[in-house]
Amino acid sequence: MSKPVLVIGGGVAGIQAALDLADRGLKVHLVEKSPSIGGVMAQLDKTFPTMDCSICILAPKMIECSRHPNITIHTLSQVTGVSGGPGDFKVKVIKEPRSVDESKCTGCGICSEKCPAKVKDEWQEGLTERKAIYIIFPQAVPLIACIDRDNCLYFQKGICQICSKVCPAGAIDYEQKAEEIDLDVSSIIVATGFQEYDPSELGEYGYGRFEDVITAKEFERLVCASGPTGGHLNRPSDGKIAHRVAFVQCVGSRSHKKGYPYCSSVCCMYATKEAVLIKEHEPASDVTIFYMDLKVFGQGFQEFVDRAQSHWGVKYVRGRPGEIRRNPVTKDLTIWYENTETGEVAEKEVDLAVLCTTMISRPENKELADVLGLELDEWGFFESLDPLMNPIETNRPGIYICGCCHGPRDIPESVAEASGTAACAAETARRYGQ
Amino acid sequence: MSEEPRIGVFVCHCGINIGGYVDVPKIVEYSMTLPDVVYAEPNLYTCSSDGLQKIKEAIEKHNLNRVVVASCTPRTHEPLFQGACEEAGLNKYLFEMANIRDQCSWVHMHEPEKATQKAKDLVRMAVAKARLLTPGDEPEIDIHPTGLVIGGGVSGMTAALSLMNQGFKVHLVEKADKLGGALNELGTLFPTNVKAGELLRPLIKGVEESPDIVVHLNSALKEVKGFLGNFEAEIESKEGSERFEVGTVIVATGADYLDPVGLFGYGEVHGVVTQLELEQKMKEGSLGDVKSVVMVQCAGSRIEERPYCSRICCTEAMKNASLLKEEDPDRDIYILYRDLQTYGIEYTEMEWDAKRKGVKLVKYDKARPPVVTRGERGPMVKVWASLLNEELTIEPDLVVLSAPLVPNPDNKTLSQQLKVPLNSDGFFMEAHVKLRPLDFATDGIFVCGTAHSPKEVAESISQAKGAASRAGIPMAKGRVRAAAITAVVDEDRCCGCGICIELCPYNAITKDEMGIARVTSVVCKGCGVCGASCPERAITMRHFTNEQLEAQGLAALGRVVD
Amino acid sequence: MAFEPNIVGFLCNWCSYAGADLAGVSRIQYPTNLRVIRVMCSGRVEPAVVLSILAEGADGVMITGCHIGDCHYIDGNLHAKRKYELTRRLVEKTGLKTGRLRLEWVSAAEGQRFADLVNDFTEQIRELGPSPLSGTTPDLGLLLKVRAAKAAAEGFRLRALVGKEEKTVTDGNVYGEEVTQEEWDKVMTESVETEYSRHRIHIALTEAPGSVKELSEKLGMGSQAVLEHIVALRQLGWVDVQEIRGTSPVYVTMEVPQ
Repeated sequence: MSKPVLVIGGGVAGIQAALDLADRGLKVHLVEKSPSIGGVMAQLDKTFPTMDCSICILAPKMIECSRHPNITIHTLSQVTGVSGGPGDFKVKVIKEPRSVDESKCTGCGICSEKCPAKVKDEWQEGLTERKAIYIIFPQAVPLIACIDRDNCLYFQKGICQICSKVCPAGAIDYEQKAEEIDLDVSSIIVATGFQEYDPSELGEYGYGRFEDVITAKEFERLVCASGPTGGHLNRPSDGKIAHRVAFVQCVGSRSHKKGYPYCSSVCCMYATKEAVLIKEHEPASDVTIFYMDLKVFGQGFQEFVDRAQSHWGVKYVRGRPGEIRRNPVTKDLTIWYENTETGEVAEKEVDLAVLCTTMISRPENKELADVLGLELDEWGFFESLDPLMNPIETNRPGIYICGCCHGPRDIPESVAEASGTAACAAETARRYGQ
Repeated sequence: MSEEPRIGVFVCHCGINIGGYVDVPKIVEYSMTLPDVVYAEPNLYTCSSDGLQKIKEAIEKHNLNRVVVASCTPRTHEPLFQGACEEAGLNKYLFEMANIRDQCSWVHMHEPEKATQKAKDLVRMAVAKARLLTPGDEPEIDIHPTGLVIGGGVSGMTAALSLMNQGFKVHLVEKADKLGGALNELGTLFPTNVKAGELLRPLIKGVEESPDIVVHLNSALKEVKGFLGNFEAEIESKEGSERFEVGTVIVATGADYLDPVGLFGYGEVHGVVTQLELEQKMKEGSLGDVKSVVMVQCAGSRIEERPYCSRICCTEAMKNASLLKEEDPDRDIYILYRDLQTYGIEYTEMEWDAKRKGVKLVKYDKARPPVVTRGERGPMVKVWASLLNEELTIEPDLVVLSAPLVPNPDNKTLSQQLKVPLNSDGFFMEAHVKLRPLDFATDGIFVCGTAHSPKEVAESISQAKGAASRAGIPMAKGRVRAAAITAVVDEDRCCGCGICIELCPYNAITKDEMGIARVTSVVCKGCGVCGASCPERAITMRHFTNEQLEAQGLAALGRVVD
Repeated sequence: MAFEPNIVGFLCNWCSYAGADLAGVSRIQYPTNLRVIRVMCSGRVEPAVVLSILAEGADGVMITGCHIGDCHYIDGNLHAKRKYELTRRLVEKTGLKTGRLRLEWVSAAEGQRFADLVNDFTEQIRELGPSPLSGTTPDLGLLLKVRAAKAAAEGFRLRALVGKEEKTVTDGNVYGEEVTQEEWDKVMTESVETEYSRHRIHIALTEAPGSVKELSEKLGMGSQAVLEHIVALRQLGWVDVQEIRGTSPVYVTMEVPQ
């Protein structure tokens, strides 16, 4: 019997790798840092170019993971130690306490309803609030509540315990301790994903100062039917419906001055998708995308952009806006830009500005790379053994990488790569299995 | 099943999720009044291990042969309860659920009486269906542990080697007289500028030396019959034809470069070549004394006739421009582009690198493309530089056209042989653009590399391994169990009209030698479109029969038919 | 007591049933009148089954599937649309209000949309009032019409036409000729009329043998049309002459050969 495979990261790439391996009969440990698998894809509203609802197509895969007899999901867990080599890695995993008994909680949500402590909901990109005991999102897998000890009245002040009183299943466990889990695996797949660049350092765009300058990921929650506004485009400052929206491309990317020099690969298309979503909500909306080069290099992308222009009337202006200003009374925003195709310097008033920020590496990659003995590139992404010939292998045999943990890429590419790493892991399992 | 139905009903409180709004004891009481129900009980959580144990005990104690659970949604919990039934020796298709939480108590929280009434109706409907349930046999299918890889380029060879390393035999079919595919024509490969031959050599060696990979050169697919696990392929070569059985098929037939004849002076003006021809000249060292070069991007792509972007050309141009500059920094190199498609970390870096080396990037507009004519000493290029707002006239030694990748002309035949679709551009179309990028909707057939759409070598390699993983799954299992929710044809009623065959999205229905429709149940996914359409009503949809649906409908209206 | 409609819904497993579940998870409240039957695909829902449920007195029937392009079975919802259209045409023939039918697309993420839909449809049915076929004293004349419609929907011709429709309209007919939706609709209109009328006659003759004149009066159809249908039905072997009463032949139904 072959040893199991460790998959680090429960986003769409990690899920795909885990399912491929489990389906072929290998045991898989899927380690996820947050309370649920699903990753960033679970947060997206729709996916281009088909406009499939993101969670609808992802949720079945998440449920499949949780039901699969060969997959063990470790949520709230992180890998803290790895030794050995291919065919025989010894792995240490620390599982943070959930403070809720996973075997008892039924995900009914009564605890969250009654919990008095409110905090910013990170999963909703801070656009709304959640409780200190919460289910991270309605389709979470596992669908189990979790106590955020930093904000829980009981853990902070020793009072309350309401959740424990109302839980019909008696699942609240304040005494739960962090758990150390030892795993013995044949190979390791790293699929820890990316994070969004914080555009606060680009003072000219006013992010952080102007509430109605938001990032694209925040926009995804704003426009999503299960988001904080029920999918209505109420802008954050005054709740006014945003009819005039500007998208600014290359925020934090393709620049040697600030941010990062590389192109983030997916922003032109997600901006186009988001623009179309606005038009679907309200066809009369005025939507402009300020871009440098329109990246349409994937299958069906150019056609999608063509349709956004001709059918939906999305406007594309070539130029990187110089500044965004706000009218303090109306809260409306003015975009100052140069149309580099006409040389004209102009301004445009909008209700909402969306910054299409670049994908950047996760800061915790550094620590994980040390634990795994992997190389990072200059931007903190995991480095391939060879970017041409061995794109998903690493400098350490038996450890493979897929998805955005080694650079920006879109969902299908992440999924295809994830299957690729599953093949590598299956080969390794066979080589060292007998 | 001839024995009388003996139905047990288990009604879940789900804590207060159901019990707080629906009168569970009343539902239990009501269930006992329904025909063929011999046992009913409430549970605090039917899904708890305690609840599952109670189902198993009741099956034994009350000799139940049908089980109904009234609780949450079958989408998440049906398999759990079916598992409990199976453990108690009851076929899992003799189980039915009533969703009295997600679609009742939770959505009627302010109307407990009506919610209770609705819950009763839902249980009655479930019981009505349960009475008509029949056990299902899940067909098992043996998977032949051999893969067929069509195409011997970098994708096909990578896929074949991975399958081999996973422990399977492989037939690799290549139409040319040698392995290597399109890379045989290329010079160096980005982003590392490795010579294409250096990448190919170990792959070809690995493939040729493996006893588990049978290479068929100068060969083409003639016919494929069968289905997942049991395909029968026939290939043809000059030596004759050969047949073999395979479990899975990977399509890795690559793409061609467009011959841009008639575009930007190609074929008309001396000194106008394609990137591919430039690569060959550079590879052979036959470039000669070239002092200035103009590269034209999107030469035949992103236009009405061919709307897609070919993905690789901008990076390829950056690579060649940088190489030309490295050879001779005094060379004047222009790249005329519409939108630069250099992306990601390595490829954007190549754009920066080319700029640093002094390559001049000039943006042109689709509406005002460059014009290439015969100049006094060579080609003459006039282009409206949209960012400079002026027309440039350049008289380079060489004009290099970045012509796009176009679908392999064999795609059409192959798509018909395998019954897998092509997209409107003529490339192979995957099952789902986001989450199933390497699968076809037809089980057991997969795609990778540029057969699917233009992509770089690195991406083709990742995809090839991915396709090998997907194809390896059923072969590693050896046997696959398919769901019993499938269509069944009544042979006596079938008139052989073939409508079901046309409708089936999975090619699960074929005509037998008598002209009668046959469902390959392992391939059938149970959607039921064929059954709903059969003019002779000769197709029954297992687990969702007309009788069952009608019984549910009548039960919903309060009518119980004995 | 206020009228509480009985509504039956057919929900596809993958999108709309999941959307209905999401409405629950999100605790979105909607009226209690809908009773859901889960099917794997909206394309599974046969017109005959819907008509049978209407005949039994349902006040409304709702069918929901995945949005076009999102079908779990690639294009099952396109077939659902074709089948629904036939159901609608047949219901229209019977005189039952077509407002009692609804086909909608609901994705797995559209909990709110599902709830809105149930609200809206329930309200629509409330306005239409109870089905004339519900309760203890259904309108028998209408019932016979709906039964004729159901029989027509079960017949070879309409099923074959609907089965062929998607492919023919998109890819052309077997002769490679392009067939427009308008041309196809014309064929469907004629076929629905013919099939429905023949089943009306057949059902009427099952009740009691009759002459062309009697049938024409009973069914409110032109005597020439009735005669033409009778001729066709005789050729099919569905009816035959029982006796000659005066100068008019009296027809009777035959055992229909399968």
